[in-house]
Amino acid sequence: MRPELLVRPASLADLWKALPALPRDRRYLAGGTDLMIAAGHGHAGDCWVDISGLKELKSFRETSSSIFIGSGLTIAELAEKPAVKKWLPALALCAPHYASPSLRNMATIGGNAANGSPCADGVCALLSEKAEIVLGLKGAKRKMPLHSFFLAPKRTALKKDELILGFEVPKWRHVSAYEKLGPRSYFGISKVTVCVSAEISGGLVKEAVIACASVAPVPLLARKAAEFLYGRRLDEGTVSEAAALAESEASPITDTRSEAGYRKAMVRVLASRALSKLAA
Amino acid sequence: MKKNKTESLAAEKGLFVISLTLNGRPAEFRVKPGDFLLDALRAHGWKGTKKGCDTGDCGSCAVMFNGKPRLACMIPAVTAHGAVVGTIEGVGTVDKPHPVQEAFVEAGAVQCGFCIPGMVITSKHLLENVPDPSEAQIKKALDGNLCRCTGYVKQIEAVKIASKKLRTKRAAK
Repeated sequence: MRPELLVRPASLADLWKALPALPRDRRYLAGGTDLMIAAGHGHAGDCWVDISGLKELKSFRETSSSIFIGSGLTIAELAEKPAVKKWLPALALCAPHYASPSLRNMATIGGNAANGSPCADGVCALLSEKAEIVLGLKGAKRKMPLHSFFLAPKRTALKKDELILGFEVPKWRHVSAYEKLGPRSYFGISKVTVCVSAEISGGLVKEAVIACASVAPVPLLARKAAEFLYGRRLDEGTVSEAAALAESEASPITDTRSEAGYRKAMVRVLASRALSKLAA
Repeated sequence: MKKNKTESLAAEKGLFVISLTLNGRPAEFRVKPGDFLLDALRAHGWKGTKKGCDTGDCGSCAVMFNGKPRLACMIPAVTAHGAVVGTIEGVGTVDKPHPVQEAFVEAGAVQCGFCIPGMVITSKHLLENVPDPSEAQIKKALDGNLCRCTGYVKQIEAVKIASKKLRTKRAAK
């Protein structure tokens, strides 16, 4: 079984220097929780580049207008940060539903995105908070909205050797609700997740972002539902109409975890629950 | 480990030789590229860490890895090179059990015993960070440790007893 070589660069600069000499079929190893599953299926590369010790990827910076989250931070590390509790309520709400306590000590937020799964819990939360993703390859950096990073199931915009450096999330005065439906209350993979972040001012929705997981080939933004809410009051009527719109935007499949029809119906239920929580 | 350059560890004749700190002592393991820490530990005689599901679901393989409880079945053994690892053997012994282990016995929290090493590792870490946890905090901390015998009531009680024991021990100091 693979790999045959493990390399552990001491810094990002060392990483870029080391790459050209490494076997072509190489993988980054951060928390390892997805790579190890891939290894079990035999697709895990000849060489692992262990990035779990890179300090640059553990950075967490707050400016007056945004928060930068290093891709190497684990879910447990993020959940403990006061700035996350204050400015990223969706991410804070998602954390207890993200796998189990021991796995939260391993899994990184960057890996959650890099794996490219439509069911990623952390991604769903960050999507609703309007995160951008920052990618780096040697000296070059690029940034894109998180939703455009995902191309297809398990396919992302990452180029060969490109690394997720982190996420930049704007500071905006929003409240969030995170509704995850799994096989049990905690510690399950999502059948359907709906995460809503919204800025509500004077009883009216100034802005809303509705992110859904496990109901489309990629993490989904329910744009029609969110747009419908602009300038409206969250009451029984608007909540149910927005929830119905969100359902219409979902295109789930049947797989080992759930069925397409059930998932679609649950988008409406979870969106309605999430929006009602924000209205309260 | 040198901090100023890229360290690389190559498999020779299909084996990596890794050095780690295990239960406070230096250890050297020979591991295959696809080995997990769990298998490496057990192959080297450290059988206190149990192999339950082997897919990161049951928590019976929880070990302390660089200061945090993690699942040994999901840690590639090669990445333990340079790591500080703690297993149940480092927590206590039959003759000298740790207060958390005593509490598990007293509460009757141990039936078949398979999940207990993971439970003890996780509970001990909880009590080191939250000395006086609420029932909700205990449940949340043990959320990733499955037990198929007891129904969890006794383990939650055990953590409460352990919390008291440790408090008394601290007060005596």
